[in-house]
Amino acid sequence: MSETITRLLVVDDEPIVGKRLKQVFGKIGFEIETFTDSASALAAMAEKSFDIVVTDLKMEGIDGIEVLKRVRVMNPETRVIIITGYASPDTAELAQRQGVFAFLAKPFRLDELKQVIYRAMESNRAEE
Amino acid sequence: MALRDLLKGFSAQHWFTPKSCRPLPLVFSQFREVLKANNQALEIIADIGEKLSGEYLFDLRYVESTVEEMITAMRRAIDAINILTQNRCAVLPGVFAPMETRVRAILNKRDDRDGPPLLWLSEVETRHWPLVGGKAAHLSELLHNPKVRVPEGFVITARLFHDLIDLNGLRPEFDRFEQLLSGHHADEEDLGGVRRLLREKVLHAEPPSGFLDTLAKSLERLAAGSEPPFFLAIRSSAQEEDMDFSFAGQFHSELQVLPRAEAVYRAYLKVAASLFDDKAIRYRRQVFPEGSPMSIAACCQRMIPAHASGIIYSVDPMAPGSQSMVAVGALGQGQAVVEGQVPTDFFRFSKGEVVQILEQVIATKHEALLPTGNTDGGLAMQAVPDGQIKSPCLDERLLLELAGIAIHLETFFKRPQDIEWTVDTQGVLYILQSRPLLITESAQGTPRLSEKLEGYELVAADVGRVAQQGIGAGPAFWVETLADLKSFPEGAVLISHRDSSQFVQVMHRAAAIVTEVGTPASHMATLCRELRVPCLVGVPGILAKVAPGEEITVDAEDRRIYRGRVVELLTYQASTSMDLHMAPEFRMLRRILREVSRLNLVDPLMQEFRPEGCKTFHDVLRFIHETAVLELVELGRDDRCLPGGLARRLDLPIQAGILAIDIGGGIAPDAPRDQIPFSAIRSIPFKAILQGMLFPGAWHQETMPVSFKDMMHSMMTTPQDTLSGQYTGHNIAIISETYVNLCFRFGYHFNIVDAFCHDVERDNHIYFRFLGGATDIAKRSRRATLIATILEAFDFSVQTKGDLVIARTSNLSQPEMERTLDILGRLIGFTRQLDVQMTDDQAVARYAEAFLMGDYGIVADK
Repeated sequence: MSETITRLLVVDDEPIVGKRLKQVFGKIGFEIETFTDSASALAAMAEKSFDIVVTDLKMEGIDGIEVLKRVRVMNPETRVIIITGYASPDTAELAQRQGVFAFLAKPFRLDELKQVIYRAMESNRAEE
Repeated sequence: MALRDLLKGFSAQHWFTPKSCRPLPLVFSQFREVLKANNQALEIIADIGEKLSGEYLFDLRYVESTVEEMITAMRRAIDAINILTQNRCAVLPGVFAPMETRVRAILNKRDDRDGPPLLWLSEVETRHWPLVGGKAAHLSELLHNPKVRVPEGFVITARLFHDLIDLNGLRPEFDRFEQLLSGHHADEEDLGGVRRLLREKVLHAEPPSGFLDTLAKSLERLAAGSEPPFFLAIRSSAQEEDMDFSFAGQFHSELQVLPRAEAVYRAYLKVAASLFDDKAIRYRRQVFPEGSPMSIAACCQRMIPAHASGIIYSVDPMAPGSQSMVAVGALGQGQAVVEGQVPTDFFRFSKGEVVQILEQVIATKHEALLPTGNTDGGLAMQAVPDGQIKSPCLDERLLLELAGIAIHLETFFKRPQDIEWTVDTQGVLYILQSRPLLITESAQGTPRLSEKLEGYELVAADVGRVAQQGIGAGPAFWVETLADLKSFPEGAVLISHRDSSQFVQVMHRAAAIVTEVGTPASHMATLCRELRVPCLVGVPGILAKVAPGEEITVDAEDRRIYRGRVVELLTYQASTSMDLHMAPEFRMLRRILREVSRLNLVDPLMQEFRPEGCKTFHDVLRFIHETAVLELVELGRDDRCLPGGLARRLDLPIQAGILAIDIGGGIAPDAPRDQIPFSAIRSIPFKAILQGMLFPGAWHQETMPVSFKDMMHSMMTTPQDTLSGQYTGHNIAIISETYVNLCFRFGYHFNIVDAFCHDVERDNHIYFRFLGGATDIAKRSRRATLIATILEAFDFSVQTKGDLVIARTSNLSQPEMERTLDILGRLIGFTRQLDVQMTDDQAVARYAEAFLMGDYGIVADK
């Protein structure tokens, strides 16, 4: 892993998602912040930048696609990963067009998300 | 009722009802529909089990949608069996309906309303947890642990709470209360009003009729085992208490309560009303901002006349990496300790192989909380006699005993524990409560964990599959045969080549389990999940890399094994603020799994093997499967339904007399219509069995000389207690490419092998049933024991009853399935007429050993 600490933001309206990911990625040395509503998550992103954002798709208010769009505007380097229990080809394609890094269907193995995040870190570094 | 009568009843009702013949291709396609729907439902159940390993991220939406899918698959299976059996299972939808309702109640968090209003702690099972609340659930687990002593008692369950709410007309107010708590912006005034009203009404609630009598009887029973004067401690046990959140001190407790029904009921009402106390509600809104339905039960236990009481932590929370633990204690009742009313003695222990007392700081104890001695009970602070003021509250023997129990409970619950203890005036140690000990994370601790771990040698990294998440450390203990389990030490890491459900015997003592082969879908994995044992399976070569007795640390989260004891990882585990297994989504899914997956209908020969005997989804599926198979078996038996050519004779070098019915891909398409050679068999499981039967020497050709007595016996009695002449001349194998259902009737015994075998381990199973024989029951039973012994050696789970043997195994890979079926084939040949030779008990061991050594000739040598 790199010397600099990777900053990860997670937003999902089900609290268990943030709690779980905090456990898993905190353990392997990530700096992680979690939110259950997208408005607060976006407010946090406006204050500081994150390397990776993991967002749920269907949320009350601002949904995952909208989070993706705004992150892309705020900080194009940030890699966005969408996790969802309702993966349809249409939304996947829409997300793709908006520049999503990866699309993961819930439930998934934590190891799968870890691998996706490692790839995101690599692509981030390659761009640098 | 004798087995014979059962069989008669069973066969008369279900097996041999004549019915009309339908076109066979139609029946086969209906049969396949049943299997398909059945497998789909079973797959969903297995999938739920895997999700509970902790390796997956899932949320409530997953739980909801999975339950819907599972129910749909169940209905499809029920419809399919009714089509196949022409509605002979018409009662099944009615049997399934209440099961569905129960599962939906769990989903809607309404499963604390159904069940008895009063339950003894010793009778509490995991399915009762929502009913008895978190604290009582943990206590009941402790009560079943032979190493600790817990005061006896019973639980007034959440069922009674809901009855009180309904009976006293409080349901609308209670629903309103829950609704207000689930909103983000509750009207404070409104909430305050409802809460005060509920509190007041519950305090004066009328009991359901007959409840005080039930209570009085329970108190009599408790009194019978206690020395007078005896009193009760009545403590809250709310749904969420001691689960994700401790709720420590949030609800009311009543101590030294008189053992009279009215007094206990009044004390219970005070405990129940504290659900509506301001402080409890404030805490609740903090930990459940989105709201979560909650009810309250109460533990009523015999009060221990305390000499001293206190707390022990199995890890020092101030120095979690230090391998030491700490305890505090004072004279008298523990309430004074937990509420900080008295100065306490402090003790520190080392946690190594030999526990030692490292430090004692003795307080000056002028007062203790003790019974008032009044006839109406109660406790009060009282002066301590001069001689005890400056002495330790416990002597060395008790301190060491306490420390040993703390270490045991940490292994038992797989997490550091916060334990309340008390010692009675006779010097007997009791455990009053054990809950997960939460250690506050140091601010900079976690991000550097990965750096700290770099200093440790990795034995294995990124290998194997997680069967159950967690972290465990201890000396490696090799299990090569099941006999090794007998000497398994407390806190060791179990290392084995393959997994076995028999490991359950030591799971409470194991820090972790690592196997070289195995799958997260095995029975062992399921048990690991139930008992929260960190477990990695499929770690190749681990036995070669770790020496027996060597200390290792297993990280069954990141799939790593370290040499030595990695204190940083263990500290990390104790400091993570969430115990996954206590998270609401996990508990809900686990309850659902428990409701659907338990198998009660194991034996198709037993009386309860009826639709009405089904208690779980799995039972229904088992019943459907067995019924579908029997439908085909019967079809194969009925000459009217078997127009010539469908049942085809096999041409084998042994005289087995088998007819095969191919339902798809079981026989090569270019095989002759009749007299099919072995080489034309395409059915994977059937071919493996035949291979075993044809193994040189396994099938002895000579007829056993049967004694006159045995012959008379078989003529007089056997036709009633086996399935009698029904199958004469028809040893039938129903086969497909991946399936075999083989019914043998050799002489007077009846043997079924049902096996499914393809490349998906989870679907694979072998079911074996053996019954009867020509000789007397003693000889037949010996043969049954012989068969059971051999099957156990091959890791079957086996049940025997007289001359009946039922064995099963599952979740084996295809090559293992084929090997095991080959062995079954040899066993069928080997034991065919062996009851005749089972003249004494020693014969069982002699023949079992011969078989296991491959000496099949022993039968002919005789």
